Amino acid sequence: MPPPFSSFPSTPIAQLLGSNGPIHAVTYSSPPSPYILTGSSDRLIRLYNPTPSPPITHHSNTITTTHPPSQTSPIPPGRLITTFPPLHSHPILSLAISPSNATFLSSGGDRTLFLWDVATSLSTRRFHGHAGRVNAVAFAGGGGDALALSGGLDGTVRIWDLRSASTKAVQVLTEARDAVTSVVAPSGGWEVVAGSVDGRVRGYDVRMGRCVVDVVGASVTSLCLDGEGGGETVLVGGLDSKVRMMDRRDGRCLRVYEGEGWRNEGVRVQSCFGGAGRWVVAGDEFPVDEEGGEGRVWAWDVMTGRVVARLGVPWGPGRRMGVGADGREKGRRNVVSCVAWKDGGRGDQFCVGGRRGWSRFLGGDRREARQDD
Amino acid sequence: MSYKRSREIFEAELTAQQSPFVFFGTPLPPLDPEVRDDGSYVPVWKQEVRDERGRKRFHGAFTGGFSAGYFNTVGSKEGWTPSTFVSSRSNRRKDDAKATQLRPEDFMDEEDLVEAEEARKIQTTAAFAGLGSTEDDVARTNSVMGLFRPEGDTMGARLLRKMGWRDGQGIGPKVRRKARLDMESNASGKPDTFLFAPENVPMVGFVRKTDQKGLGFSGESRLGPARLSTKTSIAANSDEEEDDDDIAGGLGRPKFSLAVGRKKGKDKGQGGIGTGILNDNGSDDEDPYEIGPRISYNRTIGGDKKKKKTTTAINPNLKAKPIFMPKKSTLGKVGLGVRKCHDGRLPLEGFVFGREDDPLTSAVSLQVKHPPPKIPPEWKSSKTPKSQGESKDYVSTADAAKASTLDPRARAALLGEKQLPGKSVFDFMSAEARQRLVAVTGKADLPAAKGEIPAGYARTEEERQHELLSRVPKLDKETSVAALSRGTGGGAPYADNDEKRSRYRAYLEHQAGFRPALPPKPAKMSNEDWLREFQEFFNCARIFKPMTGFMASRFTTASSTSKLGSGSTAGDGDATLLAQPPSKPKDPAEEAAKLGMYGPLTRSVVDFYPTRLLCKRFNVKPPAHVQPDDGAASGSAAKKASASQFGASMQDYFATEFGSGAEASDAGGMETAASGETGAPKPAPEQMVDSTTNEALEGARAGEEVFKAIFGDSDDEDD
Repeated sequence: MPPPFSSFPSTPIAQLLGSNGPIHAVTYSSPPSPYILTGSSDRLIRLYNPTPSPPITHHSNTITTTHPPSQTSPIPPGRLITTFPPLHSHPILSLAISPSNATFLSSGGDRTLFLWDVATSLSTRRFHGHAGRVNAVAFAGGGGDALALSGGLDGTVRIWDLRSASTKAVQVLTEARDAVTSVVAPSGGWEVVAGSVDGRVRGYDVRMGRCVVDVVGASVTSLCLDGEGGGETVLVGGLDSKVRMMDRRDGRCLRVYEGEGWRNEGVRVQSCFGGAGRWVVAGDEFPVDEEGGEGRVWAWDVMTGRVVARLGVPWGPGRRMGVGADGREKGRRNVVSCVAWKDGGRGDQFCVGGRRGWSRFLGGDRREARQDD
Repeated sequence: MSYKRSREIFEAELTAQQSPFVFFGTPLPPLDPEVRDDGSYVPVWKQEVRDERGRKRFHGAFTGGFSAGYFNTVGSKEGWTPSTFVSSRSNRRKDDAKATQLRPEDFMDEEDLVEAEEARKIQTTAAFAGLGSTEDDVARTNSVMGLFRPEGDTMGARLLRKMGWRDGQGIGPKVRRKARLDMESNASGKPDTFLFAPENVPMVGFVRKTDQKGLGFSGESRLGPARLSTKTSIAANSDEEEDDDDIAGGLGRPKFSLAVGRKKGKDKGQGGIGTGILNDNGSDDEDPYEIGPRISYNRTIGGDKKKKKTTTAINPNLKAKPIFMPKKSTLGKVGLGVRKCHDGRLPLEGFVFGREDDPLTSAVSLQVKHPPPKIPPEWKSSKTPKSQGESKDYVSTADAAKASTLDPRARAALLGEKQLPGKSVFDFMSAEARQRLVAVTGKADLPAAKGEIPAGYARTEEERQHELLSRVPKLDKETSVAALSRGTGGGAPYADNDEKRSRYRAYLEHQAGFRPALPPKPAKMSNEDWLREFQEFFNCARIFKPMTGFMASRFTTASSTSKLGSGSTAGDGDATLLAQPPSKPKDPAEEAAKLGMYGPLTRSVVDFYPTRLLCKRFNVKPPAHVQPDDGAASGSAAKKASASQFGASMQDYFATEFGSGAEASDAGGMETAASGETGAPKPAPEQMVDSTTNEALEGARAGEEVFKAIFGDSDDEDD
């Protein structure tokens, strides 16, 4: 029995301010997911506690907001805990947190991966080798953090050893014929799933030594494994304005999620499963209207494929005009490019980030229940 | 008897004597009467040692230490100048005003000062200084321009010198005359004559009147130039030539007021009232007030009297310093005006230069020497131009077209054509076509498309519908039936879209003949989209072909398995597929993905070789074909087994689809056949090398027929 329509979380809980550029990566820490990590175009990684601070201790904690919350915005800002040093020389494109929450990986346009130690806010390892920007990183291997996976613009998936001190890649998977946009690994499994711009999802089974190539057709921009089903289904976001849920066992397309007005043709827009596999959530490349600058988040019901919710993401504080490539001033599009769903913990909550440079953290009706607790 | 001198006496003795403590003899006078040198107590702040230039020698801690700098060079020219310490706390920047008052001279040593003094000498560019302005060019060309030449070594002077001319001589043939020797001139009655170079012709100079004095007045001692200006002959002024400093323009050197300025200043002091012994200058160098050693001072800026005196006598032409004149300016100035005689002079007053014509031009113009032959009056050229009148009338087609005032309509009227309807192409264009045009041309302001249909071409609704239906692709019956039967299973296409699937089924039923009419067009779908969808259904059904045909195609040739993977499933019984061979072989997986038929069609399996370390990190047992762990070797070496794998998966797919029966067993048999067929290209991993046995050596020997077939029968040859 699918949950009713209204159960999709639509109440904004907090705004995570502080970034000076578009946010390309948003990720929750491992369950129960109390923290949010954002990677921004301003080369900084920020660690937030999305729960808004109580008003009494508001000014005593370490909020560094470039845009102080205006009076009109009733959404309180989340607490910025740490800003990690800008070791990346280019925008950060992907983040991954290890299951133990002790370390996380970041990658960016500088063709480098960094392994960070959360406790000391320092980078412990650095991995070179990609010939282009690194679009996606993930943890894999035994224990969940033995290996680092990275997929880059150079069309390779590189697997790095985190257990030893070697900085050479354990293996380079060069089957992709175009840029690799997303890399995921089912937890506890022995597989590496990589989506590429050449329109294929490749699943590398290490145990069998087999690479299963599933042709999707459109360029794959995001992959999301079904956590509850043990990674049996994968959500494939393509540049043909469709999100497909595909069965990884036989490669069938179980459901196509598309919507009137939902378009994804140019940029990487993340989509993910949400609510323990009840919904599919995706950002939107095109805002609802250019003037208002309200981006959108779409949600579909997994089983029926119907649009469950269309949530507006307002532009937030700050001006909307930017200087375009032609030197003329023009309005920025509020692209909601990254989505992360809170796995574990109480409440249905998710976090979106995008062009505007701040991420928004949304919770649903369960939030109130949690507050009552 | 000792007594204590009073303070006054002690001080007096101190200034008078070197040492006040001398008791025997006469004490020496002090070296410097200003300085006390009695060793008496002087407070520290008064103790100052200064060098000969009055600069402080020793410095306190705040000004650089007792012996500041390298060997006490502070304050000298090698060292730095100390500044007194100013507490920035109490009086900040107190000495700033003082510091800004430092002059450059403060940082100069003696040599620098001398150099600076020399640099201050003003030098005019002598005679040319007055020529900067252009306000009286006309007057100058008349009076002044002819009077001087550019000084220094001009090219002409150099040439003349090479020809034997010497400076100071005139130009021209040598003149026979007697030598002018003053001492002998009166003594001998008839002296010998010699050939002399002609005398230098003096330039007639006109002094421009610049002062306010009366005409002819030039002061007491300035009568010479005024006199000279009217002088025309200087044949007898040999005495004046020697001291031609007084004669302005004596040898063609014009005297400008600026050039004589120095002289004038000196002369003023000389002449006039009350000329005493101090004013009298028998010699310029005498200083009437001079006492002591002769130290020469330059008391006037730029005065250098001696040099002038010596240089003038020897070579009057070079008396002034050669000054560089840019060629352009001199040429411009010289060429400005008047022609001059060959000796550089202007023609005499009242005379005009004669004109001698250029021989060539005169010959041409006057035709004196070689006149062209006269043409006889009755002569006629044999080459008369043809039809002069026609060429005059000739107008090119383009010109005629340009000149024509007719428009197409008028031309049509002239030709008797029927008038076209006054409509543009856009009137007959559909909106889609116009959109395409807009997209191609990029012009949004095209006229609106009206989509009219010409009178003769209008069709009824049924005709249009019929035409539309005729464009629906035709599928042969068995293919559509097979595709329909496939659709009943779970693997039908468009599983994710129920409406589309129903349309697909309807299309197949119509093509198979089960349904008389095509399903009605959905309301929101345009004709084009509808047809496109039918085309898609057609392709889809073709891929979901009947099993027999598909399998038949697999067994035509041995290489068909690999071809299958690449999409050109060329079979004998497959005319429909061969009818339109794709220009570029498309990936069937891509095609299938485009049609939404995800599943076995879009899936292919490739071997990849994980490294041993990768397997270890994943906590899995390495597969048999694990890659040797030599660093980050890429998996690109993975041999693709996609063809066979794809084929196998396809067979699996069809086997499951068609369920049981003979076909299933048939497919199974075929599968074995196919796997046996594709066993050879399969990658080596399964063939693990057993080091204990060597199959090549120890295996059973092949039959003799095989060898015979290969190598031929040697016995036959022997026979």
